[in-house]
Amino acid sequence: MTKERLISFENVSVSYWQNNMGIHSIKDLVTTRRNPFQSKPILKNISFDVCKGESLGVLGRNGSGKSTLLRTIAGLVKPQEGKITIDGTFAPILAIGAGLELELSGYENMELLLSLYGKARKNTNAIQNIVDFSELSDEVLRMPAKRYSSGMLARLAFSISIANEADILIIDEVLAVGDQGFQLKCMDKIYKIKSEGKTILFVSHAPSEVLKICETAILLDNGQIVHQGSAKEICAMYEQLF
Amino acid sequence: MQNISRIYALSKRNIILRYKNSLVGFFWGFFKPLLYLLIFIAIFSKIPSNHIDNYILYVTSGLIFWFFFSNVTNQSVGSIISSAGLIKSLNIPVLFFPLSEILSELFNFILTILVFLVVMHWFGITYSFRLLLILPCVLLFSLFSLGITLFLSAINVFFRDVGILWGTIQPAIFYLTPIGYREDLVPPFIVQFNPIYYFIKLGRTIFHESEVPSAMLWMQCICISFGMYIVGAFVFNKLKNQFISTI
Repeated sequence: MTKERLISFENVSVSYWQNNMGIHSIKDLVTTRRNPFQSKPILKNISFDVCKGESLGVLGRNGSGKSTLLRTIAGLVKPQEGKITIDGTFAPILAIGAGLELELSGYENMELLLSLYGKARKNTNAIQNIVDFSELSDEVLRMPAKRYSSGMLARLAFSISIANEADILIIDEVLAVGDQGFQLKCMDKIYKIKSEGKTILFVSHAPSEVLKICETAILLDNGQIVHQGSAKEICAMYEQLF
Repeated sequence: MQNISRIYALSKRNIILRYKNSLVGFFWGFFKPLLYLLIFIAIFSKIPSNHIDNYILYVTSGLIFWFFFSNVTNQSVGSIISSAGLIKSLNIPVLFFPLSEILSELFNFILTILVFLVVMHWFGITYSFRLLLILPCVLLFSLFSLGITLFLSAINVFFRDVGILWGTIQPAIFYLTPIGYREDLVPPFIVQFNPIYYFIKLGRTIFHESEVPSAMLWMQCICISFGMYIVGAFVFNKLKNQFISTI
């Protein structure tokens, strides 16, 4: 069986502009007359492929470029060099709380994110699924999200993220803050999504979780792929880092 | 089609967020122009060389345009920074964020114009089909405001000073625009180089002078609005790929 490639990266490099003078100020620009921004490479020469139905774990120290890699895959960051081929749709990346509008209520957030994602505006079915999965009460969902605990935010974020039925699910450490019941529920859901033949990109600092979900993994360090291979191998290497 | 519903959802969010936790919400939008109107009546209408027929109509037709412009730019100069969470998690064009700010403010502006048209009945407005010309006028002014907004919001991502500076120089622009006084009371070279003046004059010709604006004035407004939009869109597109690294 030939595998269908879903994501393919060829020598992709991403750099961010960085203000190296500390103060965001026009004054400095005028007085020193030099470009206040320097290009700082975040990802260097990244190449990998993910096939349909395969799940990829991304491991690495803090600041090694994991989140940037996920954003590049999702098309949020445009690479300066290299070629990316993507053949599928994405669920929104909801790292803890990001993407939720804190002043809006849970329901308003659902509606906003669903329509931004391109679902029909009054998709009661999708909203019901989110409510059911998040196990948040009606009263909680009417409150502005700023009053939620971090666990409740994670519940809402994860529930919205999986409600989109995309081909590729990107999970960026969202599971860390939920209580044990919800974590188990999320893992179950992830297995289920996986068994439906969808692709999962999973960032985590818990090698045991990566082992459970992913077949292959990559280890990032300083913006470069140090190793790629089977999840088992990479998890062992990750543990040796520290 | 999908994009239209996205922009709609963002505009709706803006409107909800703006009036959340406020008692009279939308009506605050009338309070500010009303206050300025009272200031103009109390002070500027007393200046002998500033005699204008239907003074209230003259001032108000300028004020509603000014406050649309001022609200739009103030709301959207920080629109990219304040939507950092969404920009970092969803792949939708960044342009939608300032655009939705303009649209939600435009919604307010149209409601304001409707109220204005009714109230001005007592202050000497004459009703005719000529008033429909206000629609292209509003569209051109929105395009101009979008251009300014794209420029300001893009630069503001990298230099937060822009937002502060913009708030500071606005009163100066306001008083250099002949809104509550005759055009000849402002030095002519300032009036000529003030782009907002042309739009206010266009609106005022329709509302106050009860005339169809000259083709020359239409052309000036079309050139300014498209020109500003092109400049704004150019700067925005140059910078947009790096927004995510700074917000």
